[in-house]
Amino acid sequence: MVFSVAWHFLHDRDLAEETAQDVFLSLHTHLAGIETPAHAGFWLRKVAVQRSIDAARKRRRRPQVALEDVAELSVRPVSGDPMLGGMLRRLIATLPEMARMAMILRYQEDLDPAEIAETMGIPLGTVKSHIQRSLALLREKLERRGVGER
Amino acid sequence: MDWLEQELAKTLSRKEPAAGFDGRVRARMHRRPRWLAIAATILVMMGAGEAWRQHEGQLAKEQVMTAMRIAGSKLNRVQMQLKGTEQ
Amino acid sequence: MRPMLTLALGAALAASLWAQQFKFNLDHLSSKASDSFDVSLNTSMLKFAAKFLDGKDPDEAKVKKLIVGIEGIYIKSFEFKQDGGYAPADLARVRNQLKPPEWSRIVGIKSGGESENIEVWVRNEKGRVTGVAILASEPRELTVCNLVGNIDLESLSDLGGHFGLPDIPKVKKK
Repeated sequence: MVFSVAWHFLHDRDLAEETAQDVFLSLHTHLAGIETPAHAGFWLRKVAVQRSIDAARKRRRRPQVALEDVAELSVRPVSGDPMLGGMLRRLIATLPEMARMAMILRYQEDLDPAEIAETMGIPLGTVKSHIQRSLALLREKLERRGVGER
Repeated sequence: MDWLEQELAKTLSRKEPAAGFDGRVRARMHRRPRWLAIAATILVMMGAGEAWRQHEGQLAKEQVMTAMRIAGSKLNRVQMQLKGTEQ
Repeated sequence: MRPMLTLALGAALAASLWAQQFKFNLDHLSSKASDSFDVSLNTSMLKFAAKFLDGKDPDEAKVKKLIVGIEGIYIKSFEFKQDGGYAPADLARVRNQLKPPEWSRIVGIKSGGESENIEVWVRNEKGRVTGVAILASEPRELTVCNLVGNIDLESLSDLGGHFGLPDIPKVKKK
């Protein structure tokens, strides 16, 4: 879970592993404060989010690109096509940081908006806004490229 | 969930780290010699229920081994003394 | 009614078989000890622990085989920085519980100018050994062990071979 959050957010396997290692080292330091396995899971997720965002800000190797600038594929992927997965990953990588993390928590961890708000430490309304706008943006870009459900 | 959300769930499904990840975390923890705390930390990665079972199992095993060493050492002292007396 | 009574008695007997067979009454020494070891493992804990013993490790494999017959392990061990950490009465209170006909002392040694004492007692019930008590005392260490179960003396001999220890001689059964 920890590595996966970092990987989907950072899109850099080495950096994601380093970030995941940092998270587990932090857990080791804070182990005495962990009360239950569920608490450990919640704690890990929260710290994974924070550390991933920190790592992205420190990196700043790839400036965020506007969705309009993402190159079109010559072949149009359709729903279920693995090429669509690759395109979606690239599009998600270009979302603003907080919106990107909200999407990862929603669709990787299957958290509801209230849980996402608690994990990220942001208002519920902001989470809903991030998800709705991101979905709308992704849908628009994909449809403009002729990508959609058959 | 509409088709896009289904695709997102597929695309953003959990990815595993490269093999040996837990070993690399342990290597970074090597300065902290409390192996039980380290084992517990690593085991949290594997999932809550099974992790705690493993952790408790390792604790129980260590207690049994230490108990056997203590009882065995006392019996060994008896043995050594008896052998010395027989001679 | 009768079958239920038999069941209840059976359950009570079974429970008593693996429970600790005498009281240690040594908790007051914890605060004085520089180091201590305290373990209480009943049947279910031993079965649980056995699942984690590695059959490929020689020591763990021997222990795994030995604890099949053991239904409880109870040990308290204390180390002290100075002499006099415990009183003779502390050990006497334990020894006074090991009374015939159930308990008999099979061996006792003194060494180091009588500063070290180790006594091994066995509990006999209907011709079977159902428990072992080890009382070990040195000026700065006190250890009391109760191993509960159908432990035969051959198993005790095997234990002596564990962890690089030499075998102990077989003791004739009374």
